[in-house]
Amino acid sequence: MRRLLLALAAIAFSLTLSAQEPTGGVKGTIVNRNGRQPIEKARLVLLKGAEQVAETESAEDGTFEIQGLPDGMYTLSIVAPDFLDNLVQVTVNDGYMKNMFNLSMTSVNRVTELDDDSFAAFDMDDSGYNDNPTILFGSNDVFNNIAGFNFSAVRFRARGYSSESQDVYLAGVKLNDAVTGYSPFSLWSGLNEAMRSKESVSGSEVSDYGFGGYNGLTNIFGNAASVRKGLRGSVMTNSQLYRLRVMGSYATGLMDNGWAFAANVSARLGGNDWIDGVYYRSFAYYLAADKVFNNVHKLSFAFFATPGERGAQNASTQEVYDLMGDNMYNSNWGYQNGRVRNARVRKTHEPVTFLKYDFTPSDVFEASATVLYRFGKNGYTALDWYDAQDPRPDYYRNLPSYFHDSNSDMNRNNPVKWAWANEVWSNASYYPELTHINWDRLYNVNRNQADGRAKYIQEERHVDQNDLNLAASFKWRAAEFVTVTGGLSGRINRTEYYKVVADLLGGEYFLDIDNFADRDFASQPWKVQNDLNYYLANGTARKLKKGDKYGYDYLAQVRSAGGWVNGKFVFGNLSANVGGRLGYEGFWRHGLMRKGLFPGYPSSQEMAKQWEAAGIEPSDESSSWASRKAEFLTYAGKLGLTYVIGGTQRVYANVGYFNDAPKFNQVFLSPRTRNTMVDDVEPVKTFSSDINWQYSGGGINVRATAYYTTIKDQSKVMSAYDDLQNAFSNFAITGIDQRNMGIELGFKMPTYFVENLSVQGVLALGSYEYTSNPVMTQTVDNSAEVVMQDVLVPYWRSTTLEDGTVQKHYIPSTPQTAVSLGLSYNRNYWFIDMDVEYFGRSYLDMNPLYRTDYATAGPDNNITAQEIAYMTSQEMFKPAWLVNASVGKSWFIKRKYQLGFSLNAKNLLNNTNVKTGGYEQTRLVDNTVSKERFYRFDPKYFYMSGFNYMLNVYFRF
Amino acid sequence: MKKLIIALSVALVALSSCRSLKEEWDPVFTFGANEPAAEKLFSEADLKDLGFPGTFTSIKDLKAMYKDGGVAIKTNTWIKGQVISSDVNGNIYRELYIQDETGGIDVKIGKSSLYSEFTLGQWVYVNCSNLTLGAYNGMPQLGLEADSTSTNEYETSYIDVQAIINEHVFKGAKADPVAPVAVDEAQLKAAISAGYTGELWGKLVTIKGLLYGKKIFALVYPNPNMPHKSGNPENRVFLSDSGTWGIDTWALTKNTYIDILLNTNAWDSAQVGSGNKRYCTITKSPNDCKGDMPESVLKTFGSDAGMPYKQIMIKYATANYVSHYFRIGKTDVQVRTSGYARFADQKLDSRLRDGSSTCDITGILSIYNGAAQFTLVDDPSVSVTVH
Repeated sequence: MRRLLLALAAIAFSLTLSAQEPTGGVKGTIVNRNGRQPIEKARLVLLKGAEQVAETESAEDGTFEIQGLPDGMYTLSIVAPDFLDNLVQVTVNDGYMKNMFNLSMTSVNRVTELDDDSFAAFDMDDSGYNDNPTILFGSNDVFNNIAGFNFSAVRFRARGYSSESQDVYLAGVKLNDAVTGYSPFSLWSGLNEAMRSKESVSGSEVSDYGFGGYNGLTNIFGNAASVRKGLRGSVMTNSQLYRLRVMGSYATGLMDNGWAFAANVSARLGGNDWIDGVYYRSFAYYLAADKVFNNVHKLSFAFFATPGERGAQNASTQEVYDLMGDNMYNSNWGYQNGRVRNARVRKTHEPVTFLKYDFTPSDVFEASATVLYRFGKNGYTALDWYDAQDPRPDYYRNLPSYFHDSNSDMNRNNPVKWAWANEVWSNASYYPELTHINWDRLYNVNRNQADGRAKYIQEERHVDQNDLNLAASFKWRAAEFVTVTGGLSGRINRTEYYKVVADLLGGEYFLDIDNFADRDFASQPWKVQNDLNYYLANGTARKLKKGDKYGYDYLAQVRSAGGWVNGKFVFGNLSANVGGRLGYEGFWRHGLMRKGLFPGYPSSQEMAKQWEAAGIEPSDESSSWASRKAEFLTYAGKLGLTYVIGGTQRVYANVGYFNDAPKFNQVFLSPRTRNTMVDDVEPVKTFSSDINWQYSGGGINVRATAYYTTIKDQSKVMSAYDDLQNAFSNFAITGIDQRNMGIELGFKMPTYFVENLSVQGVLALGSYEYTSNPVMTQTVDNSAEVVMQDVLVPYWRSTTLEDGTVQKHYIPSTPQTAVSLGLSYNRNYWFIDMDVEYFGRSYLDMNPLYRTDYATAGPDNNITAQEIAYMTSQEMFKPAWLVNASVGKSWFIKRKYQLGFSLNAKNLLNNTNVKTGGYEQTRLVDNTVSKERFYRFDPKYFYMSGFNYMLNVYFRF
Repeated sequence: MKKLIIALSVALVALSSCRSLKEEWDPVFTFGANEPAAEKLFSEADLKDLGFPGTFTSIKDLKAMYKDGGVAIKTNTWIKGQVISSDVNGNIYRELYIQDETGGIDVKIGKSSLYSEFTLGQWVYVNCSNLTLGAYNGMPQLGLEADSTSTNEYETSYIDVQAIINEHVFKGAKADPVAPVAVDEAQLKAAISAGYTGELWGKLVTIKGLLYGKKIFALVYPNPNMPHKSGNPENRVFLSDSGTWGIDTWALTKNTYIDILLNTNAWDSAQVGSGNKRYCTITKSPNDCKGDMPESVLKTFGSDAGMPYKQIMIKYATANYVSHYFRIGKTDVQVRTSGYARFADQKLDSRLRDGSSTCDITGILSIYNGAAQFTLVDDPSVSVTVH
């Protein structure tokens, strides 16, 4: 009976409504934000509260119209394949048809797969160099959108800046590595769906989430409600890095009850077409929940990690590449029992969790606070050996050049040996045991040891972080023309550096002693101990088993806190922002192992007696306990001006000054062995400025920028084996100045003569130069002796060639000229892109030793113009042309399911001769006939892969 | 569209699995590689497949092939012997000594840490064809043809290309270490008289009743980075002729070398120079010696020219060999020890140094410019027995 009454009432009510025949409605055109092309078949759902009141899809020209709407406020949900979902508030008044004109959607095709997987993991660990390319984000920025995707293959760095200068935030927390400053993309690799939503600013602009530096800021939301609603699955195959990726995600979106849940899992597996030994066995998981209370309070929680492992690629000399006939040769792997095994494997499981609170009491004020914690394990394997032959196949003594060199001064002339070495490397497939790591031999050597003491092991170097972050920010629209943003942050980071025995390779144990010290101090057994305390307690070095810590164990303790505020003022077409940041950063080393070479002083009378009895000599430099603290006051200021012209053009300029602390890894001379710090380390001082013009209208998007930046008083520490010292050596360089200036141009516009066809391009033309000659201090791990103290590096900034020409030296490992020009076609959910790119003026990373008077003088202490030109010049890579193409299409099935694919084909010209980076070995050839000069060791390079593709097939509903 | 979906699926599967049988999936699914099988050790039967003619040449007969300047072996000659050397203590470097019942020989395998590859007593087969039999100051050596470099002083060069080692040197069965041969003065004299073909050279021997001669020999280079061959007497200092020069350790590690120079005047009378060219004592600088030193030579010292040689030696200090003289009867035997030996810093037993005791020494005997020379394989606590 009740049901009947209800039904009758409903019928009556609907009749009443129909009698009123509402005349209101909403219409508009769905367009691509980039290029303004119409988007057809976008799905539009009109909601009133939680109730769906209408549904339609856009026509071929992108238009849509929903009629018969009563007056009121609605929410229009727009979903289109390959575009970020969009929600628009619509108010229908007085029965009119509301014209929304152009509703733009942001394409996700370009940025979908751009994370640290876009870059090969180059093994630079023992080189003393770093290689962390910048990942450009910014789906709203035409330059970043194109450059970010197209330039990743050559490890392009925006404006020549280092990757650590790019601020990366998650849920409002700055997540750049506390110890190195590197951007932490690997923490969420494979979680593309969960981390898709982000906001970016470029250059010195101030974000709502943080003050930022001079190289942009990206904030990834990472909460459940930011994940695209629905169930999604994709399968991807990729020929460059890993063979297969399987990914699935599910998100509820924000539900009526105020909850939102999201999950994302993925697996990346397999090798690739180009680099043997490089593989992925990586997984990823993400779980998140949001709860909204009264539209005022929101709590967000997320927990994610990307456990797994990936094999790394090593650099080799050109001699090796040429002999192998393969610029992709990777010396890190070899056969074990006939199966491929990589010695260098990154093994990580670093969960990140955060709890974020958002407070939105009114339309004019919002605030949020986040606590974020990162923990877990981050290991990297490598071979270690004691009193045994170097197991690296491309060790310089295994190469033909070691046996013959046309330069008679090198004193290498044995044709028989040269011929044999040449035969081996030229016919590598016949000699896999000589041209790759011979794992079987390593096992056999270990088995040969009567007492079971392993000579070769695989170690795992750990950098395990405990990183606790607190961040809060607010946004207050204080008046119609004033918006104030600001925030506070604090960080406690405790990173433990240590290594463990990962594999004894058939041995029974490995002894915890210092290899290099053992050679020099064999008659003083206490001095060769890595763990002196263990030795004193047990009378012998520790016999290590699998999983045991050894070698070194220390903490990098970092503390930082700060606050920032920014005011944005709008006066008609003119707006300005002024902001400042003030903070503190302090760090110190805390040694957890007392090393025999640097025991420090005994901490008690009892210990003093014990040391005396054992003949242990105290040292000023200590390997254990806490170092002195390095403390820095950091501050920065920014000023920005923007002028809007006619609704389509914007001219804006930014200037900033930054006084930033150096990082832990730039200050400690030899953190693996002792507490000693570089003297007189200065904060890094950066002045940055840019002026920009942006045009957006009529389907045309253009951004042109000119920038000028100076960075002063940088420091870095490099470590490498020094033949002249017969020891592992540390080179601390301070006072490195550079200047980065140039222009950026990005554009996308219709071709007009073919419908839906756009032309797009970017130009990055820069000049990134060193502008100072720094000073260098060289120490060795084996003693407290300072090999070179505050020695000027007079040829760092430039070289004078023999003809008197001065050759400047440049910031390495990024092209200073990068151009892309292409066509883009979008129609009926097809997209086809084709780009041609040019990269030029990329340089090899320099080593400071070669730029000293010591290296140029040679053994005869006589500096000649020829030696200067030879020893100090910087290599410029050959320019490169690349052609890339992409094609994609998606379909709606029964208006509910969506199936699509995208195929990206890169380097269609199959150019395998493009150097993307490398480094000079910090070694000198000193054994010459004339004894008049030194020679360089050959540099090592990385090359870009040849033709490669990525095919992604996805299914969503 | 169905066809397209099928085509896409097939393409995806094909692209992701087309190499699935290849090596790129090895590390993904290995989950801990299996340990390799035990190393293959060659038997004499195995060698036939490698061109072994069926009979071995004795080491004695091999040595008999030697001619001045070295001889390239062109016949299919194979020798076999048991390993008697170990570089575990750092006193032997890039050399493998093997011996059969007729003698021993130094096979110049130019790799370090050979003790990890070849165990004491292990049988080793060497295909000598295309190797070179040479001599270093009279001592037989088997290596590759000498380098054609302007500074080469050797008749052979190291076999340091692994592919060549693999072609010529084959590991055989493991066996117990070889017992040293006891040698008396008469046998020693006979070997010295025989010269190159003396049966004792390259063998593991024990000489009993040796008396310390209280005399050493060492040649140090003030700046080892500068030319220091015999044509460069300005960069050579001999610690020889008489006495021990304050050296009471088996050799000079870098630290001991510096310690003597810094804290004693034991070497102050040492002369810079060799042969007929004796410039000055090490207390003087190259500039002070310039009366005898050509200006062109002096220039090579650069800014160090004004520094006393003693300071130059400290600045460029390295480890150095030392030969201690012992005597059996009237025959001298030098015990030559590397500054990189793990026992280099060990002091000679005080009873030896003061002449109150004799000792038995076990090591590899070699000939050096007509004199007998010992190389200790084991630590002196094992290889030197003081009575």
